[in-house]
Amino acid sequence: MADQALLSVRDFAVQADGRELLTGLDLTLAPGEIVALRGPSGSGKTTLLRSLAWLQNPSGGTARMRDLTAEEIGWTDWRRQVCLVPQLPAVFPGTVSANLSRPFAFRATTAAFCAERARNLLDDLLLTDVDLDANCSRLSVGQQQRIGVVRALLLEPTVMLLDEPTSALDPIAAAAMEDVLRADVDRRSAAALVVSHDPTRSDRWCDRSVDLTPLLAGAAR
Amino acid sequence: MNTAVTIDYLDLVVAASLVLVAGLVSVALRLGLARRLALASVRTVVQLLLVGYVLKLVFGVGHWYAVLGMAAVMILAAARAAVRRPSHTFAGAFGHSFVTLLATGLAVTLTVTAVILRVEPWYHARYFIPLLGMILGNGLTGISLGLDTLLSGLVQQRHLVEADLALGATAWESARPQVQDAVRRGMIPIINSMMVVGLVSLPGMMTGQILAGADPLEAVKYQIVVMFMVAAATSLGTIGVVMLAFRRLFNPRHQLCLECVREQES
Repeated sequence: MADQALLSVRDFAVQADGRELLTGLDLTLAPGEIVALRGPSGSGKTTLLRSLAWLQNPSGGTARMRDLTAEEIGWTDWRRQVCLVPQLPAVFPGTVSANLSRPFAFRATTAAFCAERARNLLDDLLLTDVDLDANCSRLSVGQQQRIGVVRALLLEPTVMLLDEPTSALDPIAAAAMEDVLRADVDRRSAAALVVSHDPTRSDRWCDRSVDLTPLLAGAAR
Repeated sequence: MNTAVTIDYLDLVVAASLVLVAGLVSVALRLGLARRLALASVRTVVQLLLVGYVLKLVFGVGHWYAVLGMAAVMILAAARAAVRRPSHTFAGAFGHSFVTLLATGLAVTLTVTAVILRVEPWYHARYFIPLLGMILGNGLTGISLGLDTLLSGLVQQRHLVEADLALGATAWESARPQVQDAVRRGMIPIINSMMVVGLVSLPGMMTGQILAGADPLEAVKYQIVVMFMVAAATSLGTIGVVMLAFRRLFNPRHQLCLECVREQES
């Protein structure tokens, strides 16, 4: 079933601090598809991505990857396949290499870390001057943000949940990031869900966009 | 050989005058500590006298239920003190602290009284209560430090823990640095005191025995037993409470559940 949906979300609802944010979201990600998520600040876009990654529970609805739920796949295997890249880069003490190879020590990761692939991705994201042995905490936020994306790309997840992946980047670096993500999704027939505040940017590299405004709790239907 | 000098109440008054000097210095320098110092001194006298009378009563009764009753009160007090000190707490922390202190306190004290000292009966109050007291006093420090480090680590580094989880880490894989740090911090005081014991300070129990007229070498042997006993109990207690808290703060879905954690004034 080549056209089987990689991620299908039905009647999904999320909440934060006991407050309902979004309700009734239906969404399908096909192989090779990149979908932009739009909505006003505080509308629950980040909470939605966290809920899809099962870092927190949704308040309603179902999410399936290739027609399987997280419970059926296993919680850690779900996150390994439906991989969230947070907006604020998580930088662990140590080198760039240590940061990038970190998930390969997890039980859910069966592949081995490939330094050459990491180097190529860093170069593609215009981080040619960042050495794999450099101290990651000394890098700029924009550089750290790109390293966060490379860390996820190296795992080759089925679906990437990207929370404003270019928010700390200049337009040239942002374009490079978009090209790399687009090429990766196309090459692997993977999918991505991207939170974006800039329709002109997301129109350039995303296949379509979903506006969350009508789904906000309290919005007129 | 018993050359112990007995202390009468007048001697206690003289000792109190030493604290009075410290209080006067505090007043002169406007440190604002005089009232707290006075309160602490009064509490010391009242608490120790009370415990002295209770110990005399328990020693007099001599039954296992009197000893274990007093042990239960001591463990409850220690468990409460252990969870009041950390900057954060969570519902159930007291239960974890109590269970850990109960298990480690009783297991280690019993081992010492029944196996090492071979006291007859094993619950002999003169041995059981002071040994348990030393274990609890040190154990609660380890538990406090361990809990404080784990909870503040998980709260402050939540984004790192969840970044690992988001890449497929298990709860254990994601929180291992914070758990290791918590256990390490909890064990530092006892390891430090084992490192310098005899070089920098003479431990309270040994000093007490020597002052009470015991042979210094006998006192040293007791102290070695006590140090190992305290080290074992503190290590096991710290590991126990940190692991219980870890299990409480992650659910079977490998989600970090910090909703139950709240800040508290130390």
